[in-house]
Amino acid sequence: METNRRDFLKGIGAAATGGALGFPAVVRAQTRKGIPAEPVKIGLLAIRAGVAAPVGAAGQRGVEWWAERVNKAGGILGRKAELVLEEESSPKDTVERFRKLALQTKVDVIVGGISTAVGLALGPVAEELAMLWLSWDATTQKGVEETMPKPKFAFRSVDNEVEAIGGAILTAKYFKGVKTIAGINNDYSYGRDCWDAFQAVLKRYTPDVKPVLDLWPKLGVTDFTSHIAAIQQAKPDLLMTSFWSGDTTILLKQAAAVGLFKSMKGCFTTGGGVHDSLKKSFTPEGLVLGYNSMYFNYAGASALQKQFVREYKAKHGEYPPYECDHGYFTVESYRAGVEKAYKAAGEWPSKEQVAKALEGIQVESLSGKRSWREDHVQMCNFFQGITTHKSEFDFVTIDPVEVLPTTKIMKPSTSTKLYEWINATFPLKS
Amino acid sequence: MLVHLANVLLSGVFHASILFLVAAGLQVVFGVQRIFNLACGSFYALGAYVGVSFVQASVQAGLPPGLFVLALVAGGLCVAVVGPVVERGLLRFVYDRDETFQLLLTFAVVLMLEDVIRMLWGTSPLSTGGLYLLYGQLKVLGVTVPVYNLIVIGASLLIALLIGYMLARTKFGRIIRAAADNREMSEALGVDMRRVYVRVFTLGTLLGTVGGALVIPATAAMTEMGIELIVEAFAVVVIGGLGSMRGAFVGALVVGVLRSIAISTYPELEMLLIYLIVIAVLVLKPRGLFGGAAA
Amino acid sequence: MRRAGLALVVALILAMPFVAGDYYVTLMLPFFAYSVILLGLNLLFGYTGLLSFGHALFIGVGAYAAAFLTSKFGVMHLEAILLAAAGAAVLIAAPIGGLCVRYVKIYFAMLTLAFGMLFHSFLLKFYFVTGGDEGMRVLQPFLLGFDLSQIPKVRFLTRPFYYYSVVVLAVATFVMWRIVSSPFGLCLRAIRDNPDKAQSLGVSVKRYRWYAFVISAAYAAVGGALLGPTTGQVDPNLAYWTHSGNIVFMMLLGGFANFFGPLVGALVFIFLQDTVMSIVPYWRLVFGAILALIVIAAPGGLMGLLDRRAVSWGEKSRQGGAPP
Repeated sequence: METNRRDFLKGIGAAATGGALGFPAVVRAQTRKGIPAEPVKIGLLAIRAGVAAPVGAAGQRGVEWWAERVNKAGGILGRKAELVLEEESSPKDTVERFRKLALQTKVDVIVGGISTAVGLALGPVAEELAMLWLSWDATTQKGVEETMPKPKFAFRSVDNEVEAIGGAILTAKYFKGVKTIAGINNDYSYGRDCWDAFQAVLKRYTPDVKPVLDLWPKLGVTDFTSHIAAIQQAKPDLLMTSFWSGDTTILLKQAAAVGLFKSMKGCFTTGGGVHDSLKKSFTPEGLVLGYNSMYFNYAGASALQKQFVREYKAKHGEYPPYECDHGYFTVESYRAGVEKAYKAAGEWPSKEQVAKALEGIQVESLSGKRSWREDHVQMCNFFQGITTHKSEFDFVTIDPVEVLPTTKIMKPSTSTKLYEWINATFPLKS
Repeated sequence: MLVHLANVLLSGVFHASILFLVAAGLQVVFGVQRIFNLACGSFYALGAYVGVSFVQASVQAGLPPGLFVLALVAGGLCVAVVGPVVERGLLRFVYDRDETFQLLLTFAVVLMLEDVIRMLWGTSPLSTGGLYLLYGQLKVLGVTVPVYNLIVIGASLLIALLIGYMLARTKFGRIIRAAADNREMSEALGVDMRRVYVRVFTLGTLLGTVGGALVIPATAAMTEMGIELIVEAFAVVVIGGLGSMRGAFVGALVVGVLRSIAISTYPELEMLLIYLIVIAVLVLKPRGLFGGAAA
Repeated sequence: MRRAGLALVVALILAMPFVAGDYYVTLMLPFFAYSVILLGLNLLFGYTGLLSFGHALFIGVGAYAAAFLTSKFGVMHLEAILLAAAGAAVLIAAPIGGLCVRYVKIYFAMLTLAFGMLFHSFLLKFYFVTGGDEGMRVLQPFLLGFDLSQIPKVRFLTRPFYYYSVVVLAVATFVMWRIVSSPFGLCLRAIRDNPDKAQSLGVSVKRYRWYAFVISAAYAAVGGALLGPTTGQVDPNLAYWTHSGNIVFMMLLGGFANFFGPLVGALVFIFLQDTVMSIVPYWRLVFGAILALIVIAAPGGLMGLLDRRAVSWGEKSRQGGAPP
């Protein structure tokens, strides 16, 4: 079976490079010095099952859109980009898929990775295999501490708690007079880190703010009526949550059914991940809502983003969530890294050379300019704002839109202690 | 304080009424066929997805939104057709095998249905939008309760009563009880066990799919909802006692209400609580509160 | 004939690192680990008649033992880790087994499932000890006292660790073979086939079931500890109930009635999953269908099919070299 598939892939590659009749002139005139003819193989790990499956699908779509465009324009230094898809699941199985891509399929780069547990497992494996790995959404932080201080081949996502820090800043800005807060977060590291960081930053703005309740539903819970009863009893001024999947929708719906947000504010740091499902009929105006690194309806969006949103809607019948941007960014930065390293090396660069070139590189992603920090961490803007019903959609959007750059809301290096940094940095002056 | 207590209890009962339907499906099948159906959670998920599709179709077809409950029930009933398909297509081949093989066969159904759902509906969470709020709210004991929650609780109670009536008063119910008691004897007395098994398994499936369809306005359909729920339903039947309808009813209430109380008092316990109760029951009263089946 | 077959398999396994691609060699590592686990699981199911649907608990115990010892306590010797894993499993399995073996069939399966899920929740909940969903690192262990950290990891996995795993599996297989062909193993089979009769013949049914449970837990933990270094990371998924389901799947796939059946099942499962996962996104559907097919049409698993064919070829006298 395996040989069949590999032959098949080779066949496609041959067809793509050899019989390139339909392609623009650049492709045929490609034979640049030191550039192999066969396609660049890009391994792609995407979650396909479970709560995070929509996130995986979005990342994959972002990468596929990129591949289509890049191949139309002649590929990377004339080489076609060929995607090899594998599934991200448990850390154990994902490490196996990663090894398969690296050792067997022999890809040039691997992109993907969403869950933190998977990221923690893949980071060291990428180094062992000397395989370039550009993470979409997974970090290599255990809690808020970095586990890989000096990676060579692993490039990871932004710190998990960044969105909660942004949410706290906006909470302080828009909801003056919040004295008591409650949190409902999934019972795992992302939820816990977000809740802790949110409180720490908010305390810097409002020192007398007091947490009155913290709820810890398991990831994947689909009924929050009992949690809402507990929140009603605690009567906080504000409810904070870092939910990012369908549970956001469910929580908002069940909260609306008892008018929860009539008596309190709400801060949904990450709920924009399922923005399509946050219908106006049950999502109130006036909540803080975060869209991570890309807001589909941003007025100041680039022409590229606008085109992407249009084509995504036409193809998939919905508006793109942020993970498309992470996916797109990882492959686009790889392309830019290869081209940069090629200029220096004069031939197709090795993985080491690409990795070096990626450090500090800046490229245009869907959401605008994005970069890799010198220490292999994604940099981007975060889009958060206040929910509104004033739009042509049947779901909420945000207005005003606040653009929060990671240069301000993420600790400046992987060795920085998060809470020391928070205490030294906030409140932000501006 | 009293209002809060009422609120906690009501939300617990709401959760319990869904659990009851799924657990009842598990019980009726186990009671008669001695099969522990791991796929009951998958049937629930299937019902939820079909419910969404039926509601969307009915709204498009011009049915007044207020009648969406009918579309849900219709959806739940229609998709129960997977019951006889699974029973005739798979389970009937293993009736004479060890129970463990039957358990594994239902595990295979769990694996397959998870992917079938992904193929048909994709992976994004699906919901019926704001229909949940259409019926407004009521004040019960000082607590604001969505009317739809009361409908779900009422429907669940009604189904419980119907099953109770059916078991006690109808011919089919007597056959079921006889078959649960002694299969060979019933067969010797001329009961067509083949038909009984098809009908019983269909009934078990139907309880799950209708449960899933009914709950969907209040929540959203997600691919893993079945796998998550099976664990809770499992707790319900262990607490209530395997095979007992009354056990499913009481077990669901115990799990639903205790979960609700825990969330209001010791939220950190939420995840562990159910297993602690299950193990306590299994250790102290292994046949559950109403279990009569031999260990 | 049987001996020759076995020798051929052993020779193939020993030669594999030199003939197969590195990836497929690393894929053999989980096979060795699962084989150890399945030897234990089958002692419980195939020989004693008890189906555990919570054996992932003990895989978790072994895997986390490796993680704790290497990354928290600096114990790097794999021999010590394997022993500690088995020891921890025995300590945990003793009381759990005491409770579980009071029941049989579906009740036993459910009780083990409940304990498995309790442990899974424990791993998630007590994150300050276990790392929660993020799990823990398993550092590269020393083999026979040698610190091999100078060797690149892939090389380490495909050479020394590979052969180390082979030896562990060989020892585990030999010990299990002795167990099932001893009078003790005979008692277990008597209990499986007719517990009342066994009891009346003076076999303490519950005590023997308990022995089988504890031994199988120790095997699962040793296998779990072997899984750790390959991934380099352990996490609560290892203890989830669907993982228990998967190992039961492997056991059935190969055939529980044959001593080597579960091992064949593990091999086929791992390589089939590897292939199917790369080809279709819906591999669970394919696997569900395969499982259903086996349960319905070939309850003896692959080895059952093979044996049946062997019998039809005329080898009548052979009852299967393995205890049935």
